[in-house]
Amino acid sequence: MRLTKLLERVLSAIPVALGVAVLAFMFLRFLPGDPVEIMLGDTQVSQQQLDSLRSQLHLDKPLLAQLGIFLSGLIRGDLGVSIVKNAPVAKLIGDTLPATIELTIATVLVGILIAMPVGIISAVRAGSWLDRTALSGALVGISMPAFWFGLLMILLFAVELRVLPTSGRIAATMVVDKTTGFMLVDTLLAGNLKAFGGALKHLILPALTLGVVFAAVLARVVRTSMLEVLGKDYVTTARAKGLREWGVILKHALRNALIPALTVTGLQFGELLGGNMIVETVFAWPGLGRLVVSSIFARDYVVVQAAVMLYALTYVGANLVVDALYTLLNPRISL
Amino acid sequence: MHRMKWLLISLAALVFMSAGAEKLTFVLDVTENRSDEGQAIVAQLQAIGIDASLRVWQSTVLRDEMLAGNRSASTSDWGSAYFDPFDLAIPKLRTKDRGNYSFYSNPAVDEAFRIASTSIDDATRSEAYLTAQRQIFADAPLVFSYVLQNIEAASDNVRGWEPAADNSENFARASVIGSDTLVIGMRVDAIVTLDPAMYRDRDTEAVLRNIFDALTIPTAQGQVQPHLATAWRVVDPLTYEFDLRSGVTFSNGEVLDADDVVFTFERILTEGAIDGATSPRAGLLGPIDHVEKVDATTVRFVYKETFPQELVLQALTHFQIVPKDYLSEVGVAAFTAKPIGSGPFAYARGALDSQVVLEANPTHWNGAPELKSVVWQMMPEASTRIAALLAGEVHVIQAVPPDLVERIASVPGVGVHTALGTRSYQIELNNAAAPFNDTRVRQALNYAIDWDSILKNIYRGYADRLSTVFLPSGFGYAQDLAPYPYDPAKAKELLRQAGYETN
Repeated sequence: MRLTKLLERVLSAIPVALGVAVLAFMFLRFLPGDPVEIMLGDTQVSQQQLDSLRSQLHLDKPLLAQLGIFLSGLIRGDLGVSIVKNAPVAKLIGDTLPATIELTIATVLVGILIAMPVGIISAVRAGSWLDRTALSGALVGISMPAFWFGLLMILLFAVELRVLPTSGRIAATMVVDKTTGFMLVDTLLAGNLKAFGGALKHLILPALTLGVVFAAVLARVVRTSMLEVLGKDYVTTARAKGLREWGVILKHALRNALIPALTVTGLQFGELLGGNMIVETVFAWPGLGRLVVSSIFARDYVVVQAAVMLYALTYVGANLVVDALYTLLNPRISL
Repeated sequence: MHRMKWLLISLAALVFMSAGAEKLTFVLDVTENRSDEGQAIVAQLQAIGIDASLRVWQSTVLRDEMLAGNRSASTSDWGSAYFDPFDLAIPKLRTKDRGNYSFYSNPAVDEAFRIASTSIDDATRSEAYLTAQRQIFADAPLVFSYVLQNIEAASDNVRGWEPAADNSENFARASVIGSDTLVIGMRVDAIVTLDPAMYRDRDTEAVLRNIFDALTIPTAQGQVQPHLATAWRVVDPLTYEFDLRSGVTFSNGEVLDADDVVFTFERILTEGAIDGATSPRAGLLGPIDHVEKVDATTVRFVYKETFPQELVLQALTHFQIVPKDYLSEVGVAAFTAKPIGSGPFAYARGALDSQVVLEANPTHWNGAPELKSVVWQMMPEASTRIAALLAGEVHVIQAVPPDLVERIASVPGVGVHTALGTRSYQIELNNAAAPFNDTRVRQALNYAIDWDSILKNIYRGYADRLSTVFLPSGFGYAQDLAPYPYDPAKAKELLRQAGYETN
């Protein structure tokens, strides 16, 4: 029963992704701007050269014909070739996605490590100076522009203290063979611990920058739901049974309080997997966000429509995982 | 009663006058990178009684709007790759040309441009450009503005390098005290490709020029010098002949000769020659017909129409020669993944969106470089580049924003370096529609803006005024033509003549 439900959900993601792809395709074409004009830049070009490039990229065909080419490619598993970079879109996305996933996982870890203790303690000691400090800290964290915070971190840790690198994924002097694209994994596979350490150091600042902002959101959610659960009867019962206070908090209360936190984390995961263009730019992190935004500016439709489709799939996937985890936390919930 | 009558008459007169003369009213549309400048301009125009307002756009969207004739005044910029008005003033101001966003049309200017882009006599070309400039200056089709300098910064340990006007970075003779590796922080988030036939941007070219050699090479100021070509001559008005340097090899040992040169240009000129794709670079060569081999060390460039020699030589600095045998053997994809050139450095490894590592080519015909390797680090955010320079992670950084120059200048051990820019910035005026179909109104705007103050305050002096859209670094520049001075009185006078009320 459960498995069929799961399969149903997975399959239902396909029409969603397709619908989003078609929408993205149409919206992109309504954007003013011509990729060929942008690519050729400021030069003497004859109309004939412009036309020949356009026809090669199928840009001279009617919209529906272009959509047909896109969809028929999609069915064959071909996402197309980037207009600007003349490289397969699957390769471009495949090259940038591991960097983004790596940063996403690190960010979520940082966020959870900060937010869980802060949120729980805030709820347990609600109204105390600890709680008030945490709440105001969270407010600062939510209000802070990631761009500005990232630059501050670079100035402090890379320029003043010189303990961490400013940007990038790894120092150019380190030669790491690319197998998975995940720098931490590749360096370990190569048994190169020095490079692994270097990659880890490069990951810290961008993960902290994104993670602190996420932690601010998450901590507030954890605090609110913990407060609610701590007032429930079954918690009082557990206390009445004479269980130790922290046992009650961590075993009985937290488990139920985690459900809203999980929702927030799942959404955040989906969002981060799209790549955070601003943080990727500040830290020169070669991720998906930068690829997509630069492709939007260049009107590289082929890259953008594939990426948007991937975003849709990511969100659907993240939601599915969150829903599946709900059932683990609370057996009364089903898919 | 008498008084009342006079009051009524003067009131009526006032109403009549204000109905007859209105303020000049228009929207100044600016691209996002120039919004500070736009605000300053609008304030200056308002001060003399022009009712100007500001709107900010993404540049691509604004260009489309301009081309559709929907805007009356918009900022734009246009760069030159030739150190010649051929690809700047001409596309911007020739009737119906690609960059003519102002819909300017003057047959006398068109004729001068025709002569300048087809004559093979330098004096004639220069004279034609001078004529065009004077005519354009008088017609004032645009608000002529400025050229920004190319501002870069470097550690004081870097030797043998200077920023170039065209953003190329030549490290063949560079060295770094205390290091055999030079790291450069690039202004872009990725270069496009490593195939010399498939890009159009300067940043990709900056990297490729260190891996490959071209027939000619520009100095940092844009003068053409011999490189793989050692000498050239005019065979007939449509044919140029080049002698190739002998004894040049690619980094895989393959000998570079006329076959490689012909192959390089055939890839670019033939439609669909790159695995079905067409090179976007053909337009840079002008009205070329084909390139042919005379013997192993001689090639000819044959044109369909006469094309000035200086333009051919400038164009050739942009074409990197690829190895025919290696490329044919491994195919385009493999070549792009691991390109082989004859340049001072050879491609070692990297990713186009993070870092590209080049290693010295010890057998380069012009002598091995002093550096062992050069790392091109993509750093799209200016503040990060500066931080990396200050932290000692990189040795050279591109594109320092004028308002951040101070930060570098105040730190010992690093310095700011500048070069002439090759990009003209201006305000396009729609010459085809009111109010800017009136020359007096366009001239008035040219007098009404205090550019010196804008360049000093917003661009911190790292910009130079232009008299038209001809660049001082380009061929045929009219040295004696002074830019429109800031003269609000004159601007008001011209506006009144055109029937507008002023303050």
